[in-house]
Amino acid sequence: MFWRIFSRLLWASRGRLALALLAVASGATVCAALVNLDWDAGEKFTREFRALGANVVIAPAPSQDATPAMDENAMARIDALHLPGIVAAAPYVYLAARVGEQGSAVPVIVAGTWFDQVARMNSWWKVEGQWVTGRNDREHCMAGQDAARLLGLSPGSRLTLQYAKQQMRCTVSGVVTAGGSEDSQIFISLAAAQALAQLDGHIALAQVSVRGEAAAIEEVMRQMAAALPGLEVRPVRQLAAAEGQILERIRALLLATVLLILALSGLGVLAATAGLAIERRRDVGLMKAIGGPVRRVMRFFLAEAMFIAVVGGTIGGGAGLLLSRWIGQRVFAAAITPRLVVLPLTIAVMMGVALAGALPLRLLGRVRPAEILRGE
Amino acid sequence: MAALVQAEGITMQFGAVRAVDNVSFEVAEGEWIAIMGPSGSGKTTLINILGGLEQPTSGRVTVDGVEVGDLSERELTRYRSEKVGFVFQQFHLVPYLSAVENVMLAQYFHSMADEKQAAEVLGRVGLSGRLQHLPSELSGGEQQRVALARALINQPKLILADEPTGNLDEANERIVLDLLSELHQAGHTILLVTHSAEIGRMADRRIELAHGHLAHIAANRR
Repeated sequence: MFWRIFSRLLWASRGRLALALLAVASGATVCAALVNLDWDAGEKFTREFRALGANVVIAPAPSQDATPAMDENAMARIDALHLPGIVAAAPYVYLAARVGEQGSAVPVIVAGTWFDQVARMNSWWKVEGQWVTGRNDREHCMAGQDAARLLGLSPGSRLTLQYAKQQMRCTVSGVVTAGGSEDSQIFISLAAAQALAQLDGHIALAQVSVRGEAAAIEEVMRQMAAALPGLEVRPVRQLAAAEGQILERIRALLLATVLLILALSGLGVLAATAGLAIERRRDVGLMKAIGGPVRRVMRFFLAEAMFIAVVGGTIGGGAGLLLSRWIGQRVFAAAITPRLVVLPLTIAVMMGVALAGALPLRLLGRVRPAEILRGE
Repeated sequence: MAALVQAEGITMQFGAVRAVDNVSFEVAEGEWIAIMGPSGSGKTTLINILGGLEQPTSGRVTVDGVEVGDLSERELTRYRSEKVGFVFQQFHLVPYLSAVENVMLAQYFHSMADEKQAAEVLGRVGLSGRLQHLPSELSGGEQQRVALARALINQPKLILADEPTGNLDEANERIVLDLLSELHQAGHTILLVTHSAEIGRMADRRIELAHGHLAHIAANRR
């Protein structure tokens, strides 16, 4: 009998119910999408952050040696670890070289590295011209924009580098704008730099870009440190802290938005149920007059609120998962994994919202039947 | 015959207004009582007190051995469900439930809904062909017969009818009064509020109220 009366009740108030359902379903859609996004936000944002450059540096442990160097084999050992989350790893040799012919040469910092890895971990760098493609290319080099301006270089310019008694010539392939100290450097291949400095098989340091949240990055660093005894594996502190703060703020923003939407959904339900409560006052009074116990009578109306929550939460939860996929593709160019646990979570939260919003229905329990029958 | 209803010094005060003032009477089991009087004389308030819808300001009401004034809210609900069957002037049916469902609703609150039994009672009031009709699809007389069936379904000790024919045309009034007569003959105890002297004469006794006071109790000649 309960379900029979309940279904009649639903049909009788379908207009107001549709309004309440709309409020709950739209709130549930946005909440489910944001919760799902939040779940994946760490992974997706850190992936984006990895385009901002290296976040781990490997260098020889501090020693008395004036120019500490490390074995280039370290790069092969890092590669052999097959660690998850490593986006790119680039070795570096830095030389305080001079550009130009003797007598008029200008001092400049020359960085020898693997261009393919540098390009991968700094995908946001602007390059006028082209990246150098070959890892061992000794014919081409790249110039930071400040260095290029100082030396009057542009793509295609020829360049002479001098270090100690060594000299090399290269053609500028591209001019780099990085927004940092790299803008005043000249980039040549690692092999060329090692030949210029006669540092065969040695590098000064390695920069590694590791994707993932703080704990995952720390685990990768721990494993690299274990595999590379005598070397220091350390995070780029400023970057890690900034990333952490950005993530925290994004999550706080998501949470605040979810809470705001839940409050708005609750108000929507409140508005719809206030109308329902006025309509139902007479029915409740009558049911109580003919012997309906308050709890039994109120069960119909609270079931109505639960129906709104479950149906609205299910529709909205499903739509939210689809919305989060769409947002993922638009914002991160990668699908956000729909997490099915978001669905029951959304329904449970919406039940809370509907119960809170159904306060006017709960007040129906206080209706005095004699007053209703008198027409008050 | 034993008294089913005993009212002793019932007084009901609404603010400064004394709607019922020190009214006492008894009703024997199987008796049909007409409660009469002009508008505002306290008839409906008296019926509501007997039905457990209002608690008197003072006085005692005992129905079938139950001291109504001592009952808690929950016990009053039970009392209304088990001891009393209400018939109202405005019918007061649930608009979105069919005729049979309106009757089943009273069963559901009492114990367990039984559609077959509800249909039988509707058959007794001549509505076998209107079971699935909504109140809006029924005439006034038919709605009042549904209300009568709802009042009877739990076999109450007392039927309280507040101007049950007040909103009906002559033909439907006749049908409802005939049904009440049948119920009376079958042994039901009925307290019926009416303005009509003719209906009042159909009862065993008349209780007449004026300004909340008991003005007159008279037995009808048979």
